[in-house]
Amino acid sequence: MDVEHPRSTASILGHPVHPLLVPFPIVCFIGTLLTDLAYWGTADIMWSNFSSWLLSAGVIVGWFAGIAGLIDFAGDRRVRAQRPAWPHAIGNVVALILATINVFVHTHDAWTSVVPWGLTLSVAVVLILLVTGWLGGSLVYRHGVGVKS
Amino acid sequence: MTKCLSRPPRLLGVALTCALTAGLAACNEDTFDVESQIGPNPVLPAPQQYLFPPMKLASVVGWKEGEKPSVPQGLKVEALATGLEHPRSLYVLPNGDILVVESESPGIEPIRRPKNLVMNFIESMVTGGGGSKKSNRITLLRDANGDGKPDTHTIFLDHLNSPFGVALVGSDLYVANTDAIMRYTYNTGDTTITGPGTQLTPLPGGPIDHHWTKSLVASPDGKLLYVGVGSNSNITENGMQAEKNRAAIWEVERATGRWRTFADGLRNPNGLSFEPQSGALWAVVNERDELGPNLVPDYMTSVKDGGFYGWPYSYYGQHVDPRVQPPLPDLVAKAIAPDYALSSHVAPLGLAFYTAEALPAQYKGGAFVGEHGSWDRQRFNGYKVVFVPFRD
Repeated sequence: MDVEHPRSTASILGHPVHPLLVPFPIVCFIGTLLTDLAYWGTADIMWSNFSSWLLSAGVIVGWFAGIAGLIDFAGDRRVRAQRPAWPHAIGNVVALILATINVFVHTHDAWTSVVPWGLTLSVAVVLILLVTGWLGGSLVYRHGVGVKS
Repeated sequence: MTKCLSRPPRLLGVALTCALTAGLAACNEDTFDVESQIGPNPVLPAPQQYLFPPMKLASVVGWKEGEKPSVPQGLKVEALATGLEHPRSLYVLPNGDILVVESESPGIEPIRRPKNLVMNFIESMVTGGGGSKKSNRITLLRDANGDGKPDTHTIFLDHLNSPFGVALVGSDLYVANTDAIMRYTYNTGDTTITGPGTQLTPLPGGPIDHHWTKSLVASPDGKLLYVGVGSNSNITENGMQAEKNRAAIWEVERATGRWRTFADGLRNPNGLSFEPQSGALWAVVNERDELGPNLVPDYMTSVKDGGFYGWPYSYYGQHVDPRVQPPLPDLVAKAIAPDYALSSHVAPLGLAFYTAEALPAQYKGGAFVGEHGSWDRQRFNGYKVVFVPFRD
């Protein structure tokens, strides 16, 4: 059966780049939430150091993933026409901006690098990703974005 | 606000800061009266934490030919020696010979989070003459004919480990390396010491060794030595276990090397000196960073036996620092407010009470403080020598 699927513009040999990159920041941001919680509970500085590394790595790769996603979004009108596309894009840009601000909050020394604003931002980012991740899955598995036609 | 946005290099950080923090203290830095933080009762604004703290880096330029620091009327300034490798402190021997301690950071602070990478880069831009192999030594200058130009310039002691403090008692010369007090035999007139030193007392050096300068002074009777041991962090961000026996002044028995904590809660105490009238021990102390351009004022204070001066839990008495967890309110209640504020981020490193006759009479009995200056505010503060008169 021949169906025309929305096309992924940022792709290598027919492989869309965006889904290759997104697991990395998602795992980093979930990890940041866990290590922030550990620091909140223990005040052991090691956990806040883990948070800083996870956050920084997640934000750097996250922006690359975001750029790949935006290229797909801009590259094919049929991608934008899918219902989850707009909330997925906007939500992830918001999450990335919050995570980037959180990198700076985590540069504070000791307790206030996490409590209360670092932890708050980590929670907010993960909550947004739960929704946008679900929508991203829908875009591929239900709407066939980037799936070979 | 408009003022903030007109500063392009930090546009993003400062704009976000202004948007996200309640106060606009960073933006009001220009209007803050620095003078209000000099004296016994400094004005302390509310603490502010920034997404990107205000800073201004001083580029290292060196003195041009014939260029000099400006001095008040009645004083004169001349370069006594040039070409030194990162000179950090001075000591005058009884015969008038001047020891110049040339010293560098041990550089063993590990990268524990991404911020360290950025900070290392920033600090490499503001440190002059870094990375020299010739430092970590003491140079002797002798001006035998008193014309202000030394006729002897020798390497007095070499291959030291980030030295800072020097104290002479009789023929025992003590040098405070970052990790130990060393004793050498000195005979009046020596221009170089070749004999090996012996260790009197080990001091907290590595790991980390964030504040590494160990200031040193001998008690007037020569029985005791006092050593400044700075904290191992700005504000406990390396963990409390790294602060054991630090942020303190140690008292060391010269005969045995046995030591005890004389006073603590002093983040980075330097310039240990005995005030000639009262006989009290004084220190200049570098206070904590990243609570705003006008917090926390560095200070000079007399140091009481057993006194606690706040760090890390509080500053200027009972002003609690929100960054320290768990807080210790019982200890904070005992914190002594220091005697005299020197203004924020001036970084005082040297303190000398003036007891001689060569300078105009108004300087006699007062204190000179050498201020290194630092980069964590947008207007420079420090980078000068100040005089604090003393009375009764």
